[in-house]
Amino acid sequence: MAQARLERKEQINGWAFVAPALVLLGLFMIYPIVWSLWMSFQVGKGMNLSFGGFANIIRLTKDPVFLRALGNTFTFFIVQVPIMIVLALLFAVALNDATLRFRGLFRTAIFVPCVTSLIAYSTVFKSMFATDGIINQTLMALHLISGPISWFGDPFWAKVAIIIAITWRWTGYNMIFYLAALQNIDRSIYEAARIDGVPAWARFRYLTIPMLKPVILFTTVVSTIGTLQLFDEVYNFTAGTGGPSDSTVTLSLYIYNLTFKFMPSFGYSATVSWVIVLVVAVLSFLQFLVARDRRRA
Amino acid sequence: MSSLKLSGVRKSYGAVEVIKGVDLDIESKEFVVFVGPSGCGKSTLLRMIAGLEEITAGELDIGGKRMNGVDPSKRGIAMVFQSYALYPHMTVRENMGFALRFAKVPKEQIERQVLEAARILALDPLLDRFPKELSGGQRQRVAIGRAIVRQPEVFLFDEPLSNLDAELRVHMRIEIARLHKELQATIIYVTHDQVEAMTLADKIVVLRDGVIEQVGKPLELYDNPANQFVAGFIGSPKMNFLPARIVQKDAGTAVIELVHHEGVRLSLPLAGGAVGDLVTLGIRPEHFGLPGEGAADMTLEVDVAEHLGSTSYVYARAAGEPIIIEREESRDQGDQERITVSVDPSRTYLFDQAGQRIR
Repeated sequence: MAQARLERKEQINGWAFVAPALVLLGLFMIYPIVWSLWMSFQVGKGMNLSFGGFANIIRLTKDPVFLRALGNTFTFFIVQVPIMIVLALLFAVALNDATLRFRGLFRTAIFVPCVTSLIAYSTVFKSMFATDGIINQTLMALHLISGPISWFGDPFWAKVAIIIAITWRWTGYNMIFYLAALQNIDRSIYEAARIDGVPAWARFRYLTIPMLKPVILFTTVVSTIGTLQLFDEVYNFTAGTGGPSDSTVTLSLYIYNLTFKFMPSFGYSATVSWVIVLVVAVLSFLQFLVARDRRRA
Repeated sequence: MSSLKLSGVRKSYGAVEVIKGVDLDIESKEFVVFVGPSGCGKSTLLRMIAGLEEITAGELDIGGKRMNGVDPSKRGIAMVFQSYALYPHMTVRENMGFALRFAKVPKEQIERQVLEAARILALDPLLDRFPKELSGGQRQRVAIGRAIVRQPEVFLFDEPLSNLDAELRVHMRIEIARLHKELQATIIYVTHDQVEAMTLADKIVVLRDGVIEQVGKPLELYDNPANQFVAGFIGSPKMNFLPARIVQKDAGTAVIELVHHEGVRLSLPLAGGAVGDLVTLGIRPEHFGLPGEGAADMTLEVDVAEHLGSTSYVYARAAGEPIIIEREESRDQGDQERITVSVDPSRTYLFDQAGQRIR
């Protein structure tokens, strides 16, 4: 009896301690998530909403801007994530070399971008990529191009500029994970491989990469989520338009525009948000599937 | 199998010299153990032979070829690490065969060599397991297997048993001794455990502070230590050292008296020294006799006695200094408060103030 009462009291105490956090989480996370799911079935403008069933989903399939945004987002994802992951891995391996001088300086230099103020760096990048900016001047001085590239006037180069910017910003962040993982690998594993005559490229390909697999998976999933939610750079570089002619519009930017810029269409923007959730879920699942341990049931 | 030669080998890290001129010859098929306290440079010396550390000065020959600066993979060596250094994402089979893939060995031959090594080490049933599914002893066997597969001229072992529990350590020690017989290989083995050194070695190299203190067969080192350090390091429990003074000196003989045991006098053959010189008398715990057996008797206070069945270790004390005495088990002696032992001068050692052996 006494035991049961004590247990009950402990339970009440426990719940009392977590209650404030639960209330806040419920109010600001779970409720909006559920509400947005409900919203995604609503049609109408502004607050004038009514239940529309699958109308929003049908609208998605016929919305050229949505399809454009989806396509752009995938382009950013497919091109940028692999480049960044490979770069981060190479930097990490290079900076893990104990004989390298000024290691700390290099590490800091590569990590600083992801803690730099977004607006400050966007402004600098915009001026660098301007028609008469330093990038065009340098490329012309090197005779790589004959005339200046209109970085934000050309659909292709606008994408390139954004990819360069986000790669610059996030490579160091991913590198830190690899560096931490590399430092956890027993040094004698590499020494054993060296003595056994395993060449350097094979030590990287067959030892480093497999041993970093869990971290590579983690960074890939996080980067995928980040890229699918890409908003900041596009908004800042194109003054919120996703131009030229929607060539850099992303799903997140489109959601923002649908909600706050155009005639508010809350229901429809909720539907687009859920598309991102779905895509992230499917891609993460695929990545886990690819990375799972072989021969392990 | 190859012989090895080190001449005047030195290693410095910046201004700090850790290996201070080592000269050593290792015969083909010899089992050589580097032993010494931690920080004595034994692992560094091994890593220099492996090519993992550069040789600052001096010369290293393996099989008659100069090996300074030669890539580790071209020295004809294989190494077994204390941490096993297995590739965690590969099975036992892959771990053992991995390096051969890059030596352009045909697949069937890799398979054959792996199976042969697995047979020698009784790893056959574990070939498809991953390292994390193995016990410490099994992992160590895989690490040894990985070395065997490469058919090296010289095997290097860097404290291979220190991560194992006591029972497994004894077991693996016997395994390694058997392996040496079976493979007829040149082995260099690093340990801080003098029991491993005594039981495995053809030749022991005792190192201290980057300098070789003595090289010799295990029993030579036990019977004839060159100095107080080796005398104290080889043998378990370690040798007792008692301060003494020369009180009488004739040509060829001397009488010494223990400083803390007035009246205990021993007459020993001794070439050098003069009356009044302070010396250190060394007596191994197993060399104390029963009362009246030797030249002099000593009575000591007993702190603790450990009864191991066949022998007992009596931890005694005289004038504050600890003395360990080994006794064949005699149960009735029990935990007496005092013990009387005798000292036989022919089974003692004498060291000068600098720790050099003078008798």
